[in-house]
Amino acid sequence: MPSSIPNLLTLRGRGGSRASRGRGRAHPDAHDTTIQGTDTDAAVSRLSAVHCGYLTDPYAQFFVSADGGPPTRRLPIINRGTYTRTTALDRLVDAFLDGRGQRQIVSLGAGTDTRVFRRFARGETEGLVYHEIDFEVISQKKMRIVRGNPMLSRIMGEITVSEDATYWSSDLGTRGEYHCHGLDLRKLVDAGESQALIPGLRTDIPTLVVSECCLCYLATEQAAAVLAYFHNRIQSLGTVIYEPVLSHDAFGKVMTSNLAARGISMPTLDSYPTPTDQEKRLSEAGFHGSVKAMTVGDIWRRWVSEDEKTRLDSLEGLDEVEEWELLAGHYVVAWGSKGLDVQGWNELPN
Amino acid sequence: MSDLDKAIAQLRSCRPIPESQVREICHKARELLIEEGNVVTVTAPVTICGDIHGQFHDLMELFRVGGDVPDTNYLFMGDFVDRGFYSLETFLLLLCLKVRYPDRMTLIRGNHESRQITQVYGFYDECNRKYGSANVWRYCCDVFDYLALGAIVLGASSTLSSTMEPIDEDVEIEVCDQSGGTLSRFSRQRHRQRPDSSSSANGVPADRTGPPGSGASGSSGGTVGNPTGAVLCVHGGLSPLIDTIDKIRLIDRKQEVPHEGAMCDLLWSDPDEIDGWGLSPRGAGFLFGADIVKVFNHTNDLSLIARAHQLVMEGFKEMFDASIVTVWSAPNYCYRCGNVAAVLELSEDDTGTGIFSRSNGDVGRSKPPMLENGGLGNGPARRYRVFQAAPQDSRGMPAKKPVADYFL
Repeated sequence: MPSSIPNLLTLRGRGGSRASRGRGRAHPDAHDTTIQGTDTDAAVSRLSAVHCGYLTDPYAQFFVSADGGPPTRRLPIINRGTYTRTTALDRLVDAFLDGRGQRQIVSLGAGTDTRVFRRFARGETEGLVYHEIDFEVISQKKMRIVRGNPMLSRIMGEITVSEDATYWSSDLGTRGEYHCHGLDLRKLVDAGESQALIPGLRTDIPTLVVSECCLCYLATEQAAAVLAYFHNRIQSLGTVIYEPVLSHDAFGKVMTSNLAARGISMPTLDSYPTPTDQEKRLSEAGFHGSVKAMTVGDIWRRWVSEDEKTRLDSLEGLDEVEEWELLAGHYVVAWGSKGLDVQGWNELPN
Repeated sequence: MSDLDKAIAQLRSCRPIPESQVREICHKARELLIEEGNVVTVTAPVTICGDIHGQFHDLMELFRVGGDVPDTNYLFMGDFVDRGFYSLETFLLLLCLKVRYPDRMTLIRGNHESRQITQVYGFYDECNRKYGSANVWRYCCDVFDYLALGAIVLGASSTLSSTMEPIDEDVEIEVCDQSGGTLSRFSRQRHRQRPDSSSSANGVPADRTGPPGSGASGSSGGTVGNPTGAVLCVHGGLSPLIDTIDKIRLIDRKQEVPHEGAMCDLLWSDPDEIDGWGLSPRGAGFLFGADIVKVFNHTNDLSLIARAHQLVMEGFKEMFDASIVTVWSAPNYCYRCGNVAAVLELSEDDTGTGIFSRSNGDVGRSKPPMLENGGLGNGPARRYRVFQAAPQDSRGMPAKKPVADYFL
């Protein structure tokens, strides 16, 4: 190997980061294990986007195990997609938190997501109640990483662990509180009136439920029941969902079969085939305020400023223009609310 | 069997050849390529192919569909390497065939035939993995520097030839599937006719012109381009620094693809629905509109520009009144995109009557999306052979390789 792998633009005298590209991953047999593996995939993609200069996220590095080699570098379209998805969700979450009064976030399948650290480190979180829910094995891993890392520990303060060790939390005083639940979301499906499944969940403050490629792994009815769990308990509720769409065209068919080859199935992909279907899904789930769904491609075009595009294009160069259109057109961000009006959402370009 | 034939046989079974032999073949190829001009002249019949990107098994499918070498005369418009798993075998096989049958195989340079790009998009890593060093990658890159930048196809017929059945001489475009079955035909005549057009209702054939090279134009009102049937083949497209093909001939091409300038533009630019020139979203080359193509074709007596470089889901896409076509030859690109591929066959003009004159595009007929802007009625007769990815079991995707990335 040369000392560095140049990027497309090094000849143009611009900077860029150097690392090698993606390597293979094992094929676990059980669907749950495979889905847990998607978290690693997302963490690696996030670090790649940070490393290449797309995102600023000092915490991303702590969630990818270093094996001595340079960090995995994803192809430019994957980096651009990671950037677009992350900043789009940040923007929707920030707009939600902008409202007056105490707020709550529930992040489903949060995995090793770093949004919570970025948020609490930034401050201006007064009274924020932040829940993350994922498989126990993932939430435990997150706790170990936080405890073993001074930077993260400083942000998250003192951690309390439940007796059965499935749940850990942290009281951040005036900054708010954090709860991390090792909980299989399917348990929420038949929860009835029980409040015990998600300790610390407030039902009296405006709440945002975020699913960043999470509900799509559940059966469609289960995914709907999870949304209903929160809908039935919380008066003022918003939701933001990010997942793939358009399984029926040529690209979508190959995507479905490629993911199936990795043992991944996404039932909602068939149930909500288009962005419009995603909007209808939210309406039917009782979200009637600011309901909207946009593809990642549209978000890139309309939400990312020209200056920012110029900056990003200068990072690596992107030769895969047609491929980007295809890929970015097959992911959607959908959002909506009930019982509250999120002012910032109404002002987003569409 | 000569060593070269043995190497070809070994590569055809998708097995790499020893490093020493790669070195020797690259050396021979360079001696051959150094004699070629920047713009190679090719005589029809020829089968024009777009990007391959290391999809070796799909290249085998291409040869099955388009005919084997040397029976079929091939022109590959670059991007042999990167992205796919078998860039090495793909490029070396094409190169061996070039050395073995120099007059039946034309290779021109794509933007991925570059030291820089191959280090980002896979070929460099692949060579390292397969040989344990970057030597083979270096030999190949040295060959890249000598590849021609374009080709001119002369003597293409205005009618389609067929061994199967006689084809109406009025047919301008035929689209075939991978077994050779006709999917659709588009005739110049039909195109020129409108329901309310009395002048063509009697079925009088379209105007003809003089023989190729005479520059004679018909009386159909054609004012752009020239019906000599010359087709320019280039990987990307045009450059604001190049107004004549002679200017391409003046480039000092024997170097790494520069990050800007005429040579870069030829390999990086794309046609687009704009007026004049525009900035490319790829960060290299330019976008160019219909007006640019028409002026260029007129100035240079071209009836068509064939180029590759852009993924098109249908395998080919004609634009700007059929003055330019994109040909894409990597089916299910990157094992992810779900597209079909195509090659473009231009047959030999043995009638002596040459090409029909250009019409200014009597548009308004329903047409498939890859035949944009109507505008049929120009240029040489074109047969597109559309094909799909080789069957999954034949492509032997190694299990340990990363499958296509998605956002998860």
